[in-house]
Amino acid sequence: MAMIMDKPLANLNYDSDEKRYICEGNWAIQMVSELQSSLIPSTLPRATSLTISGKDLLHFDSAGALCLFNFITDLRKNENQVELIDFNEQQQALLSIIEEKQADLKYIPSPPEKHSLLYNLGKETITKLGQAQGLTAMIGDIAYKLLSAIHHIKRLHVPSIIATVYNTGVTALPIVALLSFLIGVVLSYQMGLQLETYGANIFIAYISGMAIFREFSPLITAIIVAGRTSSAFTAQIGSMKINEEIDALYTMGLSPTELLVIPRVIGLLIVFPLLIFWSVFFATLGAMFMSKAMLDVGYFDFLSRLQDSVGIKQLLLGLYKAPAFAILIAIVGCYQGMLVQASADSVGRQTTKSVVQALFLIIVADAVYSIIYSWLGI
Amino acid sequence: MDKPIIEISGLKNFLGGQWVHSDVNLTVKKGEILAIIGGSGSGKTTLLRSILMLQEPSAGRIHVFGEDVLSIDEADANEIRKRWGMLFQHSALFSALTVAENIMFPMKELTTLDSQFMRELAMLKLALVGLSKETAGKLPSELSGGMQRRAAAARAIAMDPELLFLDEPTSGLDPLSAKKFDELILFLRDTLNLTVVVISHDIESLKRTTDRVAFVGKGKIISVEPIEDLMNNKNPLIQDYFSKA
Repeated sequence: MAMIMDKPLANLNYDSDEKRYICEGNWAIQMVSELQSSLIPSTLPRATSLTISGKDLLHFDSAGALCLFNFITDLRKNENQVELIDFNEQQQALLSIIEEKQADLKYIPSPPEKHSLLYNLGKETITKLGQAQGLTAMIGDIAYKLLSAIHHIKRLHVPSIIATVYNTGVTALPIVALLSFLIGVVLSYQMGLQLETYGANIFIAYISGMAIFREFSPLITAIIVAGRTSSAFTAQIGSMKINEEIDALYTMGLSPTELLVIPRVIGLLIVFPLLIFWSVFFATLGAMFMSKAMLDVGYFDFLSRLQDSVGIKQLLLGLYKAPAFAILIAIVGCYQGMLVQASADSVGRQTTKSVVQALFLIIVADAVYSIIYSWLGI
Repeated sequence: MDKPIIEISGLKNFLGGQWVHSDVNLTVKKGEILAIIGGSGSGKTTLLRSILMLQEPSAGRIHVFGEDVLSIDEADANEIRKRWGMLFQHSALFSALTVAENIMFPMKELTTLDSQFMRELAMLKLALVGLSKETAGKLPSELSGGMQRRAAAARAIAMDPELLFLDEPTSGLDPLSAKKFDELILFLRDTLNLTVVVISHDIESLKRTTDRVAFVGKGKIISVEPIEDLMNNKNPLIQDYFSKA
């Protein structure tokens, strides 16, 4: 960058005979901090008649002009008479704009209002109640649209449902398989340690089977789907909202709930039990391998024991959780997407919220299932 | 002093399976306002993006401030980037920052100015683009389209660039706002000694502001001349363009 290097630096010289300040060189934004810190003298003359010359200025931009203006203001404060000479028209125009607007330059935008704890508490309560209302309204809307869609199969938007099944289900298969397999391995390892001390090795099939079928597989699937899908729904619908696509649908008299939310809910409803089953398969596989390696329980023994003591009933108890989890994840994801406002920040914030809320609701729902199962004594 | 600010020769761009530019030659002189016009899809924005180093051209040479921008290293490129400002078509203000913070942002990152001076400088830029001081504390989303455009212009001139790029600055503005924005451009050119490259479709605005207009068509610059001459150009593409307007 020869050209930039060659640019002479900025300077301010004082000619004491003529009582004249001479501005030299480049009074540009890159030079200003140096000008301010070292070149502009801190001790100023008092009550003198001074001139400032701009004859030797090579470049004079608005930062330089503001810097010079501040200097002149300081001089005037010391009751000096200041006169500018040899500034060209353009430089003078710049200085006169600054003089004209000088009151505005000191303006500091008022910081955002601070409110008391009580105010924030009330505001948050209203926001949360509003969200609860919005969510309820959306659930109602979904139910209504679903009922009316029964007579018009076209309004179910089968291609969108298939796309959802593919994006949330098929593409999730590898990660669900891998994580479930690992969970199965870890689970049977931890339990195996205890069982081994009692010599009750064969019970590994019963214990790990129960845990995987009833709790671990539904939960691990739900956590993966909440992380992958709920965030994806929020980001998709959120960016459509920013792009005014949602408004476009409204103006055509179409319902975003019908076109965007319902296909996602139905798609996830279809795919969720399948994912849980997929997860059960691989978790059991992991448990089986680990039992063989660690406890020396053969594959055939493991599987026949699993069938006798755990059986299909426990598997179904796990699968019954699927619809609740699917609906929670899809609705939270879509609803948070609808809440996105027009800013890049907002997409991030709502996506975070959607994942956190989906996980929270999944755990709550799982607890509710446990309570119900224990009431029913199963 | 009289070296051209931008020199483009033999620029070619291959994009999306077709040649957007086949042979673009263009020179921008110091202190002028040059407009680039042409039909939709004629590659005006691609040309601008090539100059701005946002897109590597397929072939050709681009010199900005006398430096070959296609072969310089990143540090030198950043030195050049400090000397120009760009006003994007959709303003591209940072949505999480207030207007004043938006203007101060490049100063904060690229200079060592103290914050008091930076704030005053930001307020000066706001005054220069004709926005009231109350605008400073607002978020971009709270401003109208025209005000956003002005705020974006204030950010584009934050670093006192020597070269200013404008991508369709008056599109979407009402005629009065567009006229005021043109006056702003002329005013900035005269006070800050800018060279301006503008993409525009607004004939009225071109008549008001530009010194020369470059017409892009068929992957080339067909003609560069003052707007009155260009409107009388006998080239069928140019005739066609102005007959639509």
